[in-house]
Amino acid sequence: MSDNNSEHLHMNIPKYIGIFMILVVGTIATYFAATVDMDRFFPGANTLVALLIAFTKMTFVMLFFMHVYWSKRLIWLAAVGSFFWLAIMFAYTMQDYLTRGSGTFSG
Amino acid sequence: MNAQTAITEGHADTPKGNYLTNGSTLASWLLTKDHKRIAIMYLISVSVFFMMGGLYAATIRLELLTPASDLVETATYNKVFTQHGILMIFFFLIPSIPAILGNFLLPLMIGAKDLALPRINLISLYIYWLGGGLTLFALMQGGVDTGWTFYTPYSTTFSNSFVMFVGLGIFINGFSSILTGLNFIVTIHTMRAPGMTWFRMPLFVWAHYATSLVMILGTPVVAITVLLLAIERATHVGIFDPSIGGDPILFQHMFWFYSHPAVYIMILPGMGVISELISNFSRKKVFGYEFIAFSSIAIAVFGFLVWGHHMFVSGQSIYAGMVFSFLTMVVAVPSAIKMFNWTATLYKGSISFDTPMLYALGFMGLFLIGGLTGLFLGAIGLTVHLTDTYFVVAHFHYVMVGGQVIAYLGGIHYWWPKMTGRMYSEFWGKISAMLVFVGFNLTFFPQFILGYQGMPRRYAAYPEELQVLNIFSTAGASVLGIGLIMPAIYLTHSLIFGKKAGDNPWMHPGLEWRTSSPPPTENFDVMPVVTWEAYEFGEESGLDLEGAKRRDAASIA
Amino acid sequence: MSTHETSDKFVYHEPGLQHQFEDMGQQEESVSIGMWMFLVQEILFFGGLFTAYLVFRSKYPMAFAAGSNHLDAFWGGLNTLVLIVSSLTMALTVYYAQKSNRSMQVIMIVLTMFFGATFLGVKAIEYTDKYNHGLIPVAGLNKKIKDDKAAHETGHEKPCWEVDHNAPAVEHPNPRGDFQWTDCSLVKLAQDKNFLTESEKIGYFVKDENGGDRIDANKFRDKVRIFFFLYFVMTGLHALHMIVGLGLMLWLLWTAFRGHYTSEYYMPVEMSGLYWHFVDIVWIFLFPLLYLLGRHFLH
Repeated sequence: MSDNNSEHLHMNIPKYIGIFMILVVGTIATYFAATVDMDRFFPGANTLVALLIAFTKMTFVMLFFMHVYWSKRLIWLAAVGSFFWLAIMFAYTMQDYLTRGSGTFSG
Repeated sequence: MNAQTAITEGHADTPKGNYLTNGSTLASWLLTKDHKRIAIMYLISVSVFFMMGGLYAATIRLELLTPASDLVETATYNKVFTQHGILMIFFFLIPSIPAILGNFLLPLMIGAKDLALPRINLISLYIYWLGGGLTLFALMQGGVDTGWTFYTPYSTTFSNSFVMFVGLGIFINGFSSILTGLNFIVTIHTMRAPGMTWFRMPLFVWAHYATSLVMILGTPVVAITVLLLAIERATHVGIFDPSIGGDPILFQHMFWFYSHPAVYIMILPGMGVISELISNFSRKKVFGYEFIAFSSIAIAVFGFLVWGHHMFVSGQSIYAGMVFSFLTMVVAVPSAIKMFNWTATLYKGSISFDTPMLYALGFMGLFLIGGLTGLFLGAIGLTVHLTDTYFVVAHFHYVMVGGQVIAYLGGIHYWWPKMTGRMYSEFWGKISAMLVFVGFNLTFFPQFILGYQGMPRRYAAYPEELQVLNIFSTAGASVLGIGLIMPAIYLTHSLIFGKKAGDNPWMHPGLEWRTSSPPPTENFDVMPVVTWEAYEFGEESGLDLEGAKRRDAASIA
Repeated sequence: MSTHETSDKFVYHEPGLQHQFEDMGQQEESVSIGMWMFLVQEILFFGGLFTAYLVFRSKYPMAFAAGSNHLDAFWGGLNTLVLIVSSLTMALTVYYAQKSNRSMQVIMIVLTMFFGATFLGVKAIEYTDKYNHGLIPVAGLNKKIKDDKAAHETGHEKPCWEVDHNAPAVEHPNPRGDFQWTDCSLVKLAQDKNFLTESEKIGYFVKDENGGDRIDANKFRDKVRIFFFLYFVMTGLHALHMIVGLGLMLWLLWTAFRGHYTSEYYMPVEMSGLYWHFVDIVWIFLFPLLYLLGRHFLH
């Protein structure tokens, strides 16, 4: 499949190394970010930063190492959709836990 | 072979190779990659589980004939209803239509030689056997008594039954349905014949696409939940045990995240079958094809947003209950769209009441009742009164038996000539369809009243004033039982004595009817090219269906 | 059999093409979609655990912070880097397969396997550390330490919030190999700074004789145990996926060595790559969630 072939060769070794360096920097950044108390800005800031960095790293791995960037829409849909479903599970579970004790049956 | 001759040629007794004659050794079955043979093996295995589940159901009804717990003691009764639920849900309802009819028909309907991943398909069957075997092993060791929902902390801490083995069986079995769903999605995306566009696919295929989505997105969650349950039970870490900091409600959230969408795994393929049946037996294009197709997808998506309606009284927050209650009302909309469209399809159709159609009409009535009573239970205020009563039992049996099982029976009858090349006895078919319908209603309608009067589920004994309705219910169950045993007999009988069905006994334009019955191993002698829309009963289909029907009538006369 | 042969006449078979497909393009697309659907399934599979983590962490943040602080971020960070390197070599394996470069393929697969094995080695070191410190959440699976005098004098009688978390880890008598956790200084800290959650106020405290609230070491220990339970299940399941991945690599090594993969046909390499990167992504999330969150309380 020569046409397939050229499609995948959007990446070359310097680009792979570049993505790799981004991931390394992300790892180091997430470590040091965790040691700084950012919660003084607003509660949960540390968690937010850690997750943002993790999401960024994941995005780079998926787009370039897993070639999603050049894949069909269905693959994009699968990648995004699975996280959307995770979000459903998280959100609808937490909407219970975070609203416990607000209101009672006895009224 | 052009399609015109395909219709007539079926009547001629030309001995042709088909998937059934392609090898007769045990190995040729066990190592086959042919989706049709795998479907037949599924049919046999699923039937075994259905029969076992049915025996448990019979035990339950017999026990409830009298108010006292006299046939079985209460502890045994717990095991009986648990095992009825586990066998029926995990080993019959979930695999039945997708793994049997879907497996057999999906490639035929879209004009493929096989599923995209035939080896995965065979593996899924072996996984099913492994999971089922483990479960049966546990049942023989003494069974399990937690209810099919395995609610913690009872299942993790207190139950002395074989929760681990059954849990493991369900964990393993889950991957069987994941792999089936995965296979279907890939097949629908890549294996469609030339000209088979998305909106020319039969609605059966659309329904299976939606089902597969739920299988892939939901089943892994119940797998990990059951795994956590097993670890918790083995090690007493406390993740679900409130006495040491755990959270039993978390189990329910994770369990129902799958198990609510799982009811759509059960009913969506049934809806797909009904779309086929209604259209064929009213000789009309399905009304609102796109609406039915997208309502399947909508059900699959919205189905994931409503699981909390199983937990209204289990201690989740009032706010969450309100949200889930509202969304439950929303998810009723796509189901209603289907009902309206089926009804509109019937309108001015040329309806014939063959056996499959009797089942389809039965489905519409019963599913309507089942669905509407679901709204009662989804209403957060009313549900407090009805929770854990026989009202709930009646509701989900109306949806599951009145919906899924009846659709499954209708589908089996409808495609039986394609699967086996033989016609079953129409007379006995109609009798059994009537018996199933009458028996079913007699069994479960009294349970609505019983539930409303406050009879709780999962008890072996009940107050004497409720006995009359329970007697009705048990009587109905025996009629239902007879109605269900009959197809097993006359269908088996038809394998040898049934008259040859011909390639297209229903005069349907779908691709599965354009190959021989039973189909050859590679499904089609030449790759079909689709030039007609779905459910095209007119001349556009390239088949002279009306002419063939006239000739058929003339030859019989 | 006859039908099979006759129908075969119509199909031109390329090497590696399975009978149900028309051409390689269709086969590649099918395999690729199939693999992605499998990954979706995997994401939801791990997702269940992340949900459990989310629920318990939001209920007991201090217990989770305490657990996180005990985990060694050095080993965790090192493992993250190791996995990222292995992801790079895996991506390069695919690259060289596309280039039909057999020897570089083999080298890259060997490197990937080496880093994968390194990851598991580091995990083993970490698990051993938990074993020695009585942090495996299952009673009886920890190192059993006999009750001797020296161990008794380690300040075991001190209230749990006065245990110095910076002091070198001391081994307490643990004759039955129970889960043990004696340090609840974080709760004290949070109590003083007044950011305990409602469920923590219920979850960590008991009423003392005077009707006041007292931190209860046992109740706190139960919550920390849940952290370690999730830690072991999540990392254990992840390690299991690594082991499966290593098996996959072994097979890939053999077939690549025999020169199966060229620019014409490299689907198995690419699919194994997807799996490997997925396992990497799981760890990218596990590392901050398990090792890092809550670390700032002590810095």
